[in-house]
Formats: sequence, C-alpha cells, structure tokens
Amino acid sequence: MHGDTIVALSTPPGSSGIAVIRISGPEAIGILEAMAPGAREWEPRTLHNCPLYGHGPQLLDDVVTAVFHGPHSYTGEDSAEISCHGSMQVVSAIIEEIVRRGARLAGPGEFTRRAFLSGKLDLVQAEAVADLIASETKLQTEVALLHLKGLLSGKIGMIEKGLRSKLALVEASIDFSEEDIETYDPGELETVASTYTALIAHLLQSEVAGSKLRRGIRITITGPRNAGKSSLYNALLGEERAIVSPVPGTTRDVLRERIHIGGLTYHLEDTAGLAETGCEIESEGIRKGREAAGAADLVLFVVDAVEGWQEEALEELEVHAGSNRIVVVNKADLVPGGGDTTSLSPAGEERTVAVSAMTGEGLALLRDKIFDFTTNGELSVVQGELIALNIRQGIALRRAMEALERLVAELGKNSPAEILSLELREALDACGEVTGKSAAENILDEIFSKFCIGK
Amino acid sequence: MEYPIIVVGGGHAGCEAALACARMGVKTLFVTIRKGDIARMPCNPAIGGLAKGQLVREIDALGGEMGLCIDYAGIQFRMLNRGKGPAVWSPRAQADKTAYHERMLSSIEAEKNLDLIEAEITAIAMEEGKARGVRTADGEEIKAEKVIIALGTFPNGLMHIGEKQIPGGREGEPPSRGLSDMLAGAGLKRERLKTGTPPRLLKESIDFSRCQVQPGDEDPAPFSFRTKKLDVEQIPCHLTWTGEATHAIINANIHRAPLFSGQIQGTGPRYCPSIEDKVVRFSEKPRHQLFLEPEGRDSEEIYVNGLSTSLPEEVQLEMVRSIPGLENAEIVRYEYAIEYDFFPPYQIHSTLESRNIPGLYLAGQINGTSGYEEAAAQGIVAGINAVLELRGKDPFVLGRSEAYIGVLIDDLVTKEIWEPYRMFTSRAEYRLSLRQDNADERLLGYAVRFGLLPREQWEGMISARKAVRRARRRLETESVTLEGSGKMRAARLLQRPGVSLEDIEPLLPNGPLGLGKKEGESLEIDHKYRGYIRRQDRTAEKLRRMERRKIPDGFAYKDIGALSTEAREVLEKFRPETLGKAARLAGVRNSDVSVLMVFLERAGDER
Ligand SMILES: Cc1cc2nc3c(=O)[nH]c(=O)nc-3n(C[C@H](O)[C@H](O)[C@H](O)COP(=O)(O)OP(=O)(O)OC[C@H]3O[C@@H](n4cnc5c(N)ncnc54)[C@H](O)[C@@H]3O)c2cc1C
Ligand SMILES: Nc1nc2c(ncn2[C@@H]2O[C@H](COP(=O)(O)OP(=O)(O)OP(=O)(O)O)[C@@H](O)[C@H]2O)c(=O)[nH]1
Ligand SMILES: [Mg+2]
Repeated sequence: MHGDTIVALSTPPGSSGIAVIRISGPEAIGILEAMAPGAREWEPRTLHNCPLYGHGPQLLDDVVTAVFHGPHSYTGEDSAEISCHGSMQVVSAIIEEIVRRGARLAGPGEFTRRAFLSGKLDLVQAEAVADLIASETKLQTEVALLHLKGLLSGKIGMIEKGLRSKLALVEASIDFSEEDIETYDPGELETVASTYTALIAHLLQSEVAGSKLRRGIRITITGPRNAGKSSLYNALLGEERAIVSPVPGTTRDVLRERIHIGGLTYHLEDTAGLAETGCEIESEGIRKGREAAGAADLVLFVVDAVEGWQEEALEELEVHAGSNRIVVVNKADLVPGGGDTTSLSPAGEERTVAVSAMTGEGLALLRDKIFDFTTNGELSVVQGELIALNIRQGIALRRAMEALERLVAELGKNSPAEILSLELREALDACGEVTGKSAAENILDEIFSKFCIGK
Repeated sequence: MEYPIIVVGGGHAGCEAALACARMGVKTLFVTIRKGDIARMPCNPAIGGLAKGQLVREIDALGGEMGLCIDYAGIQFRMLNRGKGPAVWSPRAQADKTAYHERMLSSIEAEKNLDLIEAEITAIAMEEGKARGVRTADGEEIKAEKVIIALGTFPNGLMHIGEKQIPGGREGEPPSRGLSDMLAGAGLKRERLKTGTPPRLLKESIDFSRCQVQPGDEDPAPFSFRTKKLDVEQIPCHLTWTGEATHAIINANIHRAPLFSGQIQGTGPRYCPSIEDKVVRFSEKPRHQLFLEPEGRDSEEIYVNGLSTSLPEEVQLEMVRSIPGLENAEIVRYEYAIEYDFFPPYQIHSTLESRNIPGLYLAGQINGTSGYEEAAAQGIVAGINAVLELRGKDPFVLGRSEAYIGVLIDDLVTKEIWEPYRMFTSRAEYRLSLRQDNADERLLGYAVRFGLLPREQWEGMISARKAVRRARRRLETESVTLEGSGKMRAARLLQRPGVSLEDIEPLLPNGPLGLGKKEGESLEIDHKYRGYIRRQDRTAEKLRRMERRKIPDGFAYKDIGALSTEAREVLEKFRPETLGKAARLAGVRNSDVSVLMVFLERAGDER
C-alpha cells in the first residue's frame, strides 16, 4: 500500500472517441461509488453503465465503469476504471471531481510503479518501468509546452514575476528589517493579489466560461450559396453528413456535429447559403443560419475561388467584421491557391485559407488556424477562457488562486509578513507547477539583486 | 598519548564540539593555536540577530554554551522583528568580546573530561584510510578514534589590507598551512572563499552627539533557557549615515579597490557587500546606514557595521571622516579582507563526518559557512555525532521541519556553496514552527537523551507544557463576554488580531490561568499560528516520509539510463543520503525521483 489514491487519464489526451480514466488506492472505489449514486455493490471486474455526477450534483457524463479489488488489479491496490467520452472537457470535469474528492493526480509512470512495487511486475522490469517514467515525463513536458505557448505562459510568467518581486519585498522586511530598505506596501500587495486572482480566475474560466468549455466551442460555416460550405463541413467531419449538390440553396437547416482539434471539442455548424430569395423556406433557413453565426465563437466564411469577391459576399462578410472569423477560399483545386480571392480577402492573409473541400488541400492548415484562433491571440474567442489548460495546470492554478484569495484576506486582517509570505510562496509554488519551475526557491537571489543590504 | 576524540580549533565551532564530547562523558583533547584566542570574535561584536538568534536558542536547548556565554557577556540586548509576528522574532545582543572569550574559556577549563592544549596541527594521522589522530607542527603524534576539525578562516588564509597582502588566519594570527594541503592530498576537494571586517574607530574620537542613539530593550530577554534573569546594565549603540561627500570619495578611488581591479579571487558574500559595492550598484541611494557598535563594555574600539571596504588605508580614513559624527575619528584598525580554503560540504555526511576520511568531522567556516552561530551549531552537531559513532549509536540528524540547525546542515549537503553560507529565516520553510520561543520544546529532549542537560531540565519543560495544555483546554471551553462583541469562546476571541492573552485572562469566569510569562507567550503564539502551522505540518509530513527513504552509500547512479544526464551528474556529486535530499538537489526533477524510487525498492528487495 502506498497510502494515497491516485488518478490519471490512461488514454492519450486529445484523441477522440473513448477516454479511459484510472483510479488506484484505498479510496478508489469509494470515490467512484460516491460519484455514481445510482450504483450499488458493483461486481468486480465487470462492466457497468451508469451516469456520473459531479459537484452540485451536475451530470458529467454517461460512462462505463469497472472496479477491481486489490490485490487482483494491475496496481495490486483497489482500483477503478472509467470509460467516458473522449473530449478533454468531459475528461477534465471527471478527473477534477475525483481530485476534489481526495485523490491526487498520478505522477509520470506512477501506476506502473505501483504495479511494480506491489510485485505485480517482474523485478527485471525495473529498467522498463524507469524508461517508461522518463518517456512519459517527456511526453508530459511536450504537451505542457504546447499548452504553454502563447497566452498561458505569458500570463503565468507575468504573474510569477510579479509575485516574486513582492515576495522579495516581504522576505526582505523580515530578514533585513535592521537595514534601511524599501518595504512592502500592503495596499499595493492587495492590488496585485486581487489583479492576479482575477487574471487566474479568467484563465480558469469562471462558472459561465466553464460551462462554455463543457459545451464546446461553436464554429459556424457561412457564406454565399454553392460556395461549398456543406462540402467543407463534410470534409472537416470526415463523413458525408450534409447533402452536397450543384443546386444553389441545397442546405436549408442548421446542421450540428462535434469535431476534435488538438484535444479540444468544437461544435461545427453548416448553414444555408446567403442570398436574396423569394422562397420562404430558404429565407427562414438563412435567418436561422445568421442567428447561429451571430452566436458562434468562430465564423468560417466560405467563398468560391472561381466566383471571387462578389459585391454580395463582401457585404455579408462585413456583417462578421467585428467577430472572430476565418475566410475560407474554397475550390482551390480549380484556381490554384485560391487566386485573387485569397490575396484580395478583406480579412487579411493571416485569416484567409485556400482549401479544396474536394481534394482535402489546405484542410490541415485550416484546422491549425481554427485551433490557434480559438486558443491564442487577442481576438481569441476564448479570451483566456478556453486555453487548452490540461487538468494538472487547472488544479495548480486553482491552488494559486486560492492562496492569493487568502492573501487578500490576511492583508485585510493586518497579518504579519511571515503569514503573507506563506501565501505568496504557496501561490508561486502552484504557478511553478504550471511553468515547471519553482520561482519561490531562490528568493534570496532576488533580494540581493534588488536591495542594498549588508554590514 | 591517546584520546577517544580530538577537537582541533578553538573557535565557536570547536568550543561547542569539545564541550559536547566532554559532557557526553568522553575524554576529549582540545587543541588550538592560542588559548588567548578561544572563542574570539574576529568580526562584529554581536551574537544572534535574524535567524542567527534562533540558532543560538537551539544550540542552547541542545545543551550548548553559546547562550550562556552571551548572557554573561552581553552589553545590549534586543529582540529584533518585534513589529512582525513572533515566528520571526530573533534575539540579538552586543557582546563584550573579551568577556565572551573569558566565559567560554572558563567553561572549557572547568570541564573535567576536557584537556586544552596549545599546538598547531599540521596533519591528520591516518590508518587504513581512516582518521586515527593528529600530528602537531612539532612532529608529535596524538592518537584518537575520532577527530573533529574546526579551523575557521585559517587554512591558507591570506589577508588583504588595501593593496597589501599578508598571509594570516586572522588579524595578528598566522595562517594554518600544512593541514589543508594534507587533506587536499588525501583527496578532499577544496575551494576559496573570502570575507572581510570593517575598520574599528577610537571611541573617544567620535562625536556621538551627531549620531542617533539606539538603546537596548527595556526588558531584555536572555538567550539561554537556563538563565533565569538577566542582570545587565545596557550600553547604547549609535547610528549614522554616509552622504554625498563619502560617495564622491569612493567614486574617485574605485579603481584602487582590489575587488574591482580583480586582485581578490575568492568569492565574498552578497549579504556583506563593501561600501564601494553599495555605492556603485545602488548609485540612486543618497545615503547608507552605519551602526556604531562598541567592541566591549570598556573597550576603546568601535566597530562600524555597514562600512566594509577594500580601499587603501588613506582612502578609508578620508571616507570615514566624511561621515557625520566621524569628522575627527581615528581608525585604530583598518578594514581587512581574508581569503581562505574551505572544503565544499558535498563531501560530508549530515553528521558532518567526511565521506573520504571516515572518523574525521568538519565543522564551521571550513564547511563554507560564515558566522559564529552557524559555526557553533555545526560544532555541537559534530561533537554529538562523533560520540554517538564512537558508541555505535544511531546518528543525530535534525530535519528541516525540526530546527534551523537541520535546515543549515541539510542545505550544506544539498546545495552548491559559492559564497559563505549564512542563515536567513527565509531559508526555513517551516519557520512558523521553528521559533526562538519553542527551541526548548523542539530540542531539549535530545539534549537530555545525550546527557548534555540534566533530566530535571526536561521534567521542568514537560510540566510547563502540561500547564499550557490545561490552559488551552480552559480557553476552548470557557466563554467570555466582551463589550461590543457579545459572548464567545475565549479561544475564538484570542484568534482575533490584536487580542492578547493578557486582555482575555481577566475576563475568564474561572479566574486567571496561572501560567508563567514564557508559557503564556508560547500558548498565545501557538494559538495564533495554529491554522497555518497545521497547513505546514501537512507538507512537513510529506517531507519526513521522503527523508525516511534512505539511499545506500555508493549507490550506482551511472548505471541508471532513465535518469536525466543532469540529474545523474548532481546525484553522483552530492550522493544524497535520502530520497528527500535527492529531490532537493538542483537539477533533479520529479521524474528522476520516481525513477530512483523504483531502483531503491529493488535494491531493498535484494537485501
Ligand atoms: C575578517 C573576518 C571577517 C568576518 N566577518 C564575519 C561577519 O561579518 N559575520 C559573521 O557572521 N562572521 C564573520 N566572520 C566569520 C566568523 O568569524 C566565523 O564564521 C566564525 O568565527 C567561524 O567559527 P569557526 O569555529 O569555524 O572558526 P574560527 O572562529 O575562525 O576559529 C578557528 C580556530 O581554529 C584554530 N586553528 C586554526 N587552524 C588550526 C590548526 N591547524 N591547529 C590548531 N588550531 C587551529 C584557530 O586558532 C582558531 O582558534 C569573519 C571572520 C573573519 C576572520
Ligand atoms: N471543384 C470543386 N468543387 C467543389 C468543391 N467544394 C464543393 N464543390 C462543389 O460545389 C457545389 C456546391 O457544393 P455544396 O457543398 O453543396 O455548397 P454549399 O455552399 O453547401 O451550397 P448551399 O448549401 O446550396 O448554399 C457542389 O457541386 C460541390 O461538388 C471543391 O473544393 N472543388
Ligand atoms: Mg450546403
């Protein structure tokens, strides 16, 4: 027995379909049972279908579970497996709930290590286990790096830097109180703490944004008739869902499907082609389509490369000028690179992609752009809400935020420097979990570089 | 001649080491160059201070001598950081240097198990790769089972006074040459460090009326738990400041400072920058603070705290005389800096025993630390461990969550030392629990177990602790009525900032708690910090668990391919004793710790 209960996603993150979450340790079965109030006395090593509830209680997902009693399990401990829908939102919600109920995120290779330690694996496999730990760590670092690109690392880095310089002031006021140096200003400290709390809260998505995260990001395809919107829709889905035809005005209703890009879930919508029309059904379809595009997080505006920028198309694109949009110049197979239509795009080159829904050309680039524009950049739909925080980072940031909230409370009580330091250090430590380095560690360096200190 | 233990070096480390050995009942030989320099303070005339005060209290709780000496020799006592929470209060006292030396010497001479002789040791006598005694400069060999060396700044000491360089261990004392070279020959790695001490002024040449007075505490608190009451007539210190004139002189002569001209090689500490360093790096600061501290009650010398400098003598004088109050000051002794050998402490165990030479213990400045208190702390630990090892008992290693001494030694064996190591409260992650007020609760038990303090001391503490517990229970059960806030549990009221036990006691329905001053304080502090300490305890427990997982000496890191290259290198170098220490090494990542766990478990299985 190793004491605590650990949890981890055991299928690679971001892959669609089914995800498997494993829990191991004395609390493993108890936690699962508490989250599935309907279930009673599960028979070990058998699959059970049940709804899983989170805090609230809020329905997290319909899952398939199996429990294993130690020592008849992989790790030799009590353990449980949960198969859920593969989106990161569902997975994070479930894992976060398990952590909230007292489990801890497993370290790299920890399941295998437990299995090894409980004698489940052969002694000679130690090498293999060690290598596995090393490679899992590498993978984790890579994933973390990916997530750290851009906004997240910038923001956390800035928070770390700010907190560190405040901690230096607080620590200097303790360790060098005899020196005549600048000391911390509680009011300023409070402002900083509140600002960072808000920033992290934003990064973490407040309740509203959180539900948005769970709901997925909405992308609406719009544009003139026959531009190839439905073809693009099918191409992104990888299946023939929408009817495609050379007849203008084929699509009448809003179609909706889930797609995954870079571990995030998107809701992709196909809509009716935009046109002046006398047909009542078509007008109604267009109205619905506009409504959908208005509420979308990202608009894919499709134009036909052969047709080019007609007056009407330009007017329609203008409607979405203020929102997050990508212009897709379709049928690039007919006009290589989309021709003038691409270079003349009013959305600018950065936000224009030439593709061919038919041959698949340019689709990879389009996917990348979708991911980028929904996770990064100043126009990002997520505005920091939907940054692809992995679960570990989410938990760490929450810890940082709680520490900062306590710091504000302590400042309100006029608490002494050593208590303020405690909270600042905790917040820094938590940020360090996200950026991979603890910034509180060498605080003396910061003090010496900053202050004139010494006999 | 033969002794079970020999202690070499009569500085702060050596004195505590020798006394600990003798008091634990081992016949000990104490060798130093000159008896007259026993426990000499070559730098500032003070004991304690921030974080250092905590160290002194801990040394005292372990049965050490430092606290008693300073209680005797102190001429001004202050509790620093009173404006902050009690966790970071630190006692500090100005010392009469001569009185301090005399008090220490008399304790040493009074110890029946301790023989003090004057000699310079030039070599460790070796047998089968182990320390087996010492050899003096006269060629005499004295045998011993264990040897503790605490040579301070003496090994190949080189003093710099302005542009002059003079070999020496300290002002007026020759360096110690042979021993450091002999140890290097035996495979110990050595490096150089540097420290310095500011000029001393003639007291009567100073116009104190132009300075600000800094008095001692009105109700001075003793350092030692064994001192019942301090009876001392306190002497004030004074404050003055450098100004534009001083800074102009420094700027005009900066090229003559050896640190700037590159003449000095050893690394000086960043927390003791020279005045020229301060003026250059912090040019926006219009003035720098200086403390004028007497070297003793009747001493004619004043120590200028804050005025370290490596500038030539005539510049020092010009500079001093540009400072208010010092216009006519006479320099009795000029500033000097000293470079010396030290043995980087990745080469010692947490017991302070050398890895390369079993039976040899190193303590104090030669481990790369600076400060009387840091030295004394190591001295007592080395002494205790030498005796325990002699008797085949388990070693004495304090944890980071247990004592500043634990933090100090843990840092020494897990960190690269590139400047003299000094204690700061910010180094102690569990400082809310490591307070000067509870050092006895934390450590007295060890002292009694090792025979360093009488049993009664322990019993006294236990009964006091019981009284505190009873009082705490009363606070939790009795309700009080406070104007404006109605009726509430006394414990809850005490939780409020600004409310003290003194405020509450008269309101208690069952009368006063009947605690002594110290007990009342301790109850109050514990109560106020409770929630925080509990939080810290949780992480401390994790730390202790990691600390319990031992790594066998000679563990073959190089065979483990899954460790990162960087981790393998530092692990080979530091050879940590526990998984906890391994995790604290710079360059060892979580995954490396996981990998180690796997292999450690395997090593354990095969045993
Ligand atoms: C110039 C100077 C400035 C300093 N500045 C500061 C400061 O600002 N702040 C601070 O905290 N500390 C300062 N220190 C350091 C402080 O003095 C030491 O940290 C502390 O005294 C070290 O204690 P120790 O027991 O290790 O060695 P020391 O106190 O140096 O004692 C060493 C003893 O060993 C004896 N000895 C040496 N070699 C031999 C030998 N071969 N055989 C026999 N006996 C030997 C010596 O005679 C001496 O008695 C300074 C020291 C010096 C010299
Ligand atoms: N050559 C070529 N033809 C395409 C491409 N994409 C779509 N088409 C053709 O263009 C015509 C219209 O395609 P749809 O996908 O139905 O167009 P739409 O925009 O959904 O049209 P509406 O729903 O009527 O507005 C069909 O004949 C498609 O086969 C492409 O990339 N290249
Ligand atoms: Mg269509």
